[in-house]
Amino acid sequence: MENKKMLIADDEIHIVQVVAMKFRNNGFEVVTADNGTDAYKLCCEEKPDIIVTDYQMPGMTGIELVEKLRQRPEFADIPVIILTARGFAIEDEQMDKLRITECMSKPFSPKELLSHVENVLEHSTVK
Amino acid sequence: MLTKKYRFLAVLAFIILMLIAAIPLGGTTVPEALVCLAAVGAAVWLSWHLFIEIKMLLAQIARLENDYKNHVEKTSQSLKEAKDYKLQLQLLKRQKRNTEAIIYSISDAVIVTDASDRLIMANEPAGSLFGFDVKQAILKPLEELIQNKELVQLVETSRDRKVRHLRHELQHNFGKDILTYDCIISSIYDDDEQVCGVVSVLHDITREKEISQMKNDFVSHVSHELKTPLASITAYSEMLVEGEANDEKTRKEFYSVIQSQAKRLNRLIEDILNISRIESGLIRVNKEAVSTALIVRDAVQMIKGYAAEKNITVEDQTAIVFDQVYADRDMISQVVINLLSNAVKYTPNGGKITINSEVNESEQVVIVAITDTGIGIPAEELANVFEKFYRVKANNKFAKGTGLGLNLVKQIVEKVHGGRVSVKSEVGKGSCFSFELPLLAAEKTTAR
Repeated sequence: MENKKMLIADDEIHIVQVVAMKFRNNGFEVVTADNGTDAYKLCCEEKPDIIVTDYQMPGMTGIELVEKLRQRPEFADIPVIILTARGFAIEDEQMDKLRITECMSKPFSPKELLSHVENVLEHSTVK
Repeated sequence: MLTKKYRFLAVLAFIILMLIAAIPLGGTTVPEALVCLAAVGAAVWLSWHLFIEIKMLLAQIARLENDYKNHVEKTSQSLKEAKDYKLQLQLLKRQKRNTEAIIYSISDAVIVTDASDRLIMANEPAGSLFGFDVKQAILKPLEELIQNKELVQLVETSRDRKVRHLRHELQHNFGKDILTYDCIISSIYDDDEQVCGVVSVLHDITREKEISQMKNDFVSHVSHELKTPLASITAYSEMLVEGEANDEKTRKEFYSVIQSQAKRLNRLIEDILNISRIESGLIRVNKEAVSTALIVRDAVQMIKGYAAEKNITVEDQTAIVFDQVYADRDMISQVVINLLSNAVKYTPNGGKITINSEVNESEQVVIVAITDTGIGIPAEELANVFEKFYRVKANNKFAKGTGLGLNLVKQIVEKVHGGRVSVKSEVGKGSCFSFELPLLAAEKTTAR
């Protein structure tokens, strides 16, 4: 997908690298962060079209990152996909409240993640 | 009894019979015969009359005897009944005492209230929990005695709606603690099926809830720690299969990531299994006489490469003295390596790690201390660092970890070898982790 910018935030450097490569190979511009605090700063600076973030990160968790982003009008509707290795899924109530687009469990398929992101972006473009 | 008419006819018949009987006497004159007859007749009449009277008396006596018998029977029956009542009363009293003893001996809080929600009975645990004197509180309204409005409400609801059994999880503030109770409220019914009282039993499940939470946290932690390297393995292998790694250099990088993550996964599983084996006493321990100084020396050699990457100096000040311990060499080696790798992990570039070992003759122990110039641990978190999966929040960003390494150190030193671990730390200055093990000589003395 051309001219689309995505942010991947994960404290696992290997995950960041592999996701970044998959998306760059498919025409995305990718910005990366290895903690929640840096991810927030990067969002404000880079204004990505979509955010893919890990749930459990140092500094700020993925949920805290979304909470903080939703307070800013420019990020009120930005699509967010959460990756989680936790044993329990995120509660529906929290998903709805923070308008989290999707929650994907680790281990995940980069191909599947790409397809989900493209779907989400297509729908948000149609709107 | 004969009537007067029959009595008269009988007397007349008797006189006629006497006259007929007197005629054959011959020589006797008629007046003499009449006198004689009158005398005999009077005697006979008297006898008859006496006979009748006696018969009547006998009948009366028989009746009285019968009445007496009945009376005696009734009296003995009453006596028997009285005895039975007394016995039943004693039995009931004993049953009441037994029931009270059972209720008072129960460690759960038991509260019994009447149809007006007044206290009828409560045991000591109930008194202690809600802060009232059990003996003085009898017949006082429940809401005066119990500050927990939820419980009072539950008792009222149970009584009002005639609920036979109601089960509810109740939170209660007890001093600084919040306790959780499994509360069972049962209504008591009288013969008319009306609620005449309510029994509330409160079972403390605070510990069970904590254990359940710990279990959930453990599953969540294990899941997270296992899935993280697995996620890398899955993603990189998929990229290779999909041909996304274009050149040989990238492919080699990917193979290397898969290999390192597989090793990480294996280490993690081994750590979890070792902790579990130690906790359940199933681990195979090969104890022998070993020198801690030599174990430390080998471990330092192993860690030096990792320390050099961060330009950290490792100084081994342990002297080979008489420091032999009766221990599992591999396990103690694991302890030293875990402590050293933690020291390297949490020490910024250019820092220093010092290892000291000393023998305390009076305590008959050898003490190994590993001191670093690292980021340190906040005082309020020091007590938790040896807990399973515990990670110092402030240091999360500095380095990654599973929170299992220090727990394994504690398990090996304390549970397997009867030693002791300790930690001192100052934020920004560094930490000192130490462990002590009983000397071989001390072990032998204990064994004897």
